[in-house]
Amino acid sequence: MSSESSKKRKPKVIRSDGAPTEGKRNRSDTEQEGKYYSEEAEVDLRDPGRDYELYKYTCQELQRLMAEIQDLKSRGGKDVAIEIEERRIQSCVHFMTLKKLNRLAHIRLKKGRDQTHEAKQKVDAYHLQLQNLLYEVMHLQKEITKCLEFKSKHEEIDLVSLEEFYKEAPPEISKAEVTMGDPHQQTLARLDWELEQRKRLAEKYRECLSNKEKILKEIEVKKEYLSSLQPRLNSIMQASLPVQEYLFMPFDQAHKQYETARHLPPPLYVLFVQATAYGQACDKTLSVAIEGSVDEAKALFKPPEDSQDDESDSDAEEEQTTKRRRPTLGVQLDDKRKEMLKRHPLSVMLDLKCKDDSVLHLTFYYLMNLNIMTVKAKVTTATELITPISAGDLLSPDSVLSCLYPGDHGKKTPNPANQYQFDKVGILTLRDYVLDLGHPYLWVQKLGGLHFPKEQPQHTVIADHSLSASHMETTMKLLKTRVQSRLALHKQFASLEHGIVPVTSDCQYLFPAKVVSRLVKWVTIAHEDYMELHFTKDIVEAGLAGDTNLYYMALIERGTAKLQAAVVLNPGYSSIPPVFQLCLNWKGEKTNSNDDNIRAMESEVNVCYKELCGPWPSHQLLTNQLQRLCVLLDVYLETESHDDSVEGPKEFPQEKMCLRLFRGPSRMKPFKYNHPQGFFSHR
Amino acid sequence: MERAVPLAVPLGQAEVFQALQRLHMTIFSQSVSPCGKFLAAGNNYGQIAVFSLSAALSSEAKEESKKPVVTFQAHDGPVYSMVSTDRHLLSAGDGEVKAWLWVEMLKKGCKELWCHQPPYRTSLEVPEINALLLIPKENSLLLAGGDCQLHVMDLETGTFTRALRGHTDYIHCLALRERSPEVLSGGEDGAVRLWDLRNSKEVQTIEVYKHEECSRPHNGRWIGCLATDSDWMVCGGGPALTLWHLRSSTPTTIFPMRAPQKHVTFYQDLILSAGQGCCVNQWQLSGELKAQVPGSSPGLLSLSLNQQPTAPECKVLTAAGNSCRVDVFTNLGYRAFSLSF
Repeated sequence: MSSESSKKRKPKVIRSDGAPTEGKRNRSDTEQEGKYYSEEAEVDLRDPGRDYELYKYTCQELQRLMAEIQDLKSRGGKDVAIEIEERRIQSCVHFMTLKKLNRLAHIRLKKGRDQTHEAKQKVDAYHLQLQNLLYEVMHLQKEITKCLEFKSKHEEIDLVSLEEFYKEAPPEISKAEVTMGDPHQQTLARLDWELEQRKRLAEKYRECLSNKEKILKEIEVKKEYLSSLQPRLNSIMQASLPVQEYLFMPFDQAHKQYETARHLPPPLYVLFVQATAYGQACDKTLSVAIEGSVDEAKALFKPPEDSQDDESDSDAEEEQTTKRRRPTLGVQLDDKRKEMLKRHPLSVMLDLKCKDDSVLHLTFYYLMNLNIMTVKAKVTTATELITPISAGDLLSPDSVLSCLYPGDHGKKTPNPANQYQFDKVGILTLRDYVLDLGHPYLWVQKLGGLHFPKEQPQHTVIADHSLSASHMETTMKLLKTRVQSRLALHKQFASLEHGIVPVTSDCQYLFPAKVVSRLVKWVTIAHEDYMELHFTKDIVEAGLAGDTNLYYMALIERGTAKLQAAVVLNPGYSSIPPVFQLCLNWKGEKTNSNDDNIRAMESEVNVCYKELCGPWPSHQLLTNQLQRLCVLLDVYLETESHDDSVEGPKEFPQEKMCLRLFRGPSRMKPFKYNHPQGFFSHR
Repeated sequence: MERAVPLAVPLGQAEVFQALQRLHMTIFSQSVSPCGKFLAAGNNYGQIAVFSLSAALSSEAKEESKKPVVTFQAHDGPVYSMVSTDRHLLSAGDGEVKAWLWVEMLKKGCKELWCHQPPYRTSLEVPEINALLLIPKENSLLLAGGDCQLHVMDLETGTFTRALRGHTDYIHCLALRERSPEVLSGGEDGAVRLWDLRNSKEVQTIEVYKHEECSRPHNGRWIGCLATDSDWMVCGGGPALTLWHLRSSTPTTIFPMRAPQKHVTFYQDLILSAGQGCCVNQWQLSGELKAQVPGSSPGLLSLSLNQQPTAPECKVLTAAGNSCRVDVFTNLGYRAFSLSF
């Protein structure tokens, strides 16, 4: 082989590097053409160790040859070339050996790799098999666990307990002989029984449902029947109203009133409740009613969304209006004021009937923003009253209730917090608005349960029933006495204006039978005029002449003597007496500052008024006082000592029976009348 | 001219009645306590009020010092006359005279020591006692009033020893002439009568109204006040205020005062008088008006000079009359302040 290869290589010796490769190629072709030479088989036969030795030897030989060649080349000479050629041929042979060895090495390597690869593949296949099996095992295990964990639905069902089951189930289901031993059969049997029971219950359920339907239908029918009854009952109630009125049992009316009362603001509600209670319990002449619009009252409590809408609307409107025309500050303020003084739409009306059939109508209002109540009063009489000129103010709605309690003039708001509210909108005092709104008397607040303590002003004042109840009786009585005394005065004034002092028969004993002095004039005078009179200074200084009083002037005459009497009528007449101040024009002007007897006459009517009160309720006080003044004037004139220097008889002969004409250091005249003896004496 | 209007206080019935009572009050009599520090005043409602002059005159005087220390109801009728002994206050009004201990009076709820009524002739009406006079030498009290008599009461025993009759109309005032001793009385009948106490006889009568220079018929003839200074006497009332010389019974000086005088007294070298009209008049003996000091009442009925030696700081003149106030004059020139019931 090596010779062939070396032969083939020979032409290629010039090119020493490329020859082995060509040789390899050629050899492979040769393999295909003819002999089948398997170098691979040769590999199996050779021993790799020996090949390795051979390789090492060959390399050494080559090294040696190369060295010899080099020596020879360096020595030079002729036979050198043959030697060199020989060595060259040997080296070539060695090269060939090396190449073969290289090939063998490669083949071995390849074989080794192939074997490894095969083994590896086998290993891989086993590995895969192992994995498959493992996987299957796992799968099976999972399945097993799943099966083991499987809860059949039947276990969710609460079956009846065993004892119960055996007790209740019919024997064809329970099959005790079989089931006792076999838990599976037992469970099956129990399930069977469960099914059976459920079927039965389902039956019952269906029955019950149908029952229920039936009953519902019955209910519907009955409801319809009842609802058709309601309008009929209403019509019966309507029909019974006349009967109620006839029998004086106005239940319906009362019921309606209570309905409306629910919409009253708290103070008015307190007043309503207390007044109704008082009227029912103590005083049949008191009647209570509610007036006003309930819808408006309900509208006060609109839900917030509506009001928000309104606000946005009104804002939009306001913008428009400001663009068009700015409302003046005054108009804005006016609106604010109106808003502040707004009244609640509902009001309570109280009617107090007096013995002589005159009625006092009181209408109570509630000012929402100020939290006070006001009242408007009106007096109506059974017969039409002809008002004498001087009696104009007696029954006027403005002043008839003034000073029911001392000092309660009703011109100022009783709630101290209102002052700050007023400052914001420029209201000075409530006095300007009382004609419209009514008077905020203190007793009105008390009747509504509102209490405004001066010492500790409270933030919010709530209506209190007990306060109202404690004041109700006194106030009602005072109101009645007030109306009656005013009406009595009314009548008396009519008579006084005609110059007649109306003295009732049960007061006649206070006066002698004959009274010569006459009342000629009775007029009202204004407060300022009273203050300007020269003989009223003492009363003014004593603080008895306030602007809540009524002032009158009476003129009593006898002959040339004229007695002027200025009268202060306190609104609290007749528990508070009228006060008289006198001025006598007769032989000069005599008043209490220059004549002790005039002073004594004033004292007789002012200080000793209790004798003149007459029977309760002492409406006769004023007329008795006037009559007494006439008597006193008589006494004064008749007992005046005769002036010796003046000619002529006395103008007024003494007709009164007097024990003594003068007494005491101030030489008092006998002004005290003694009944029934009929003579005059000194106090 | 704007008149200052007092605030009308909310007045209930009681307050109005009280105000009216005060308006119509008249103080008829005054009396100074023996120690000189207190003044008692009696009014027409029968009440006696005791004021503390020392408190009102002190420098720390407040409004309450001008109110009475105590007020009590002494009589049923007006208290027309009061005098003080060295321990007692004697007050008289409607027909009876009562005695009070000064030291007791300052406590509340004091009761009278004794109460005596002179024997009256008439029974129809109880006559008033207008004047009280103490006669220290005899330790007796002289009463005179509505029954036209002078009654003499012994202070120790309380019995009425004598009654001097002579007046034809009721007696207004009494005065004591120390020297004799004689008592002068003036009455409604226009006469001033002098009585001798030893023999209870009327010694002299002066009918003032009969003298033209002093009579004033339009006022009447009544003698309202008397004061005497041994030989001299001053009297006033309906007739003009006149100074008389007693022995000759002649009017020496007529004081030009139109208004009737209700009280007159000698003071040092002056004559003080008061009556209708609000002023206290000071007269020289010659008849000139030295001063007219206005008071606070529209008419004055009594003057009181506190000359007690034990309280020189309270030496004041007090005047009271037709009001509830007692004017205090510390200096005769002006009114210092007023005490008030």
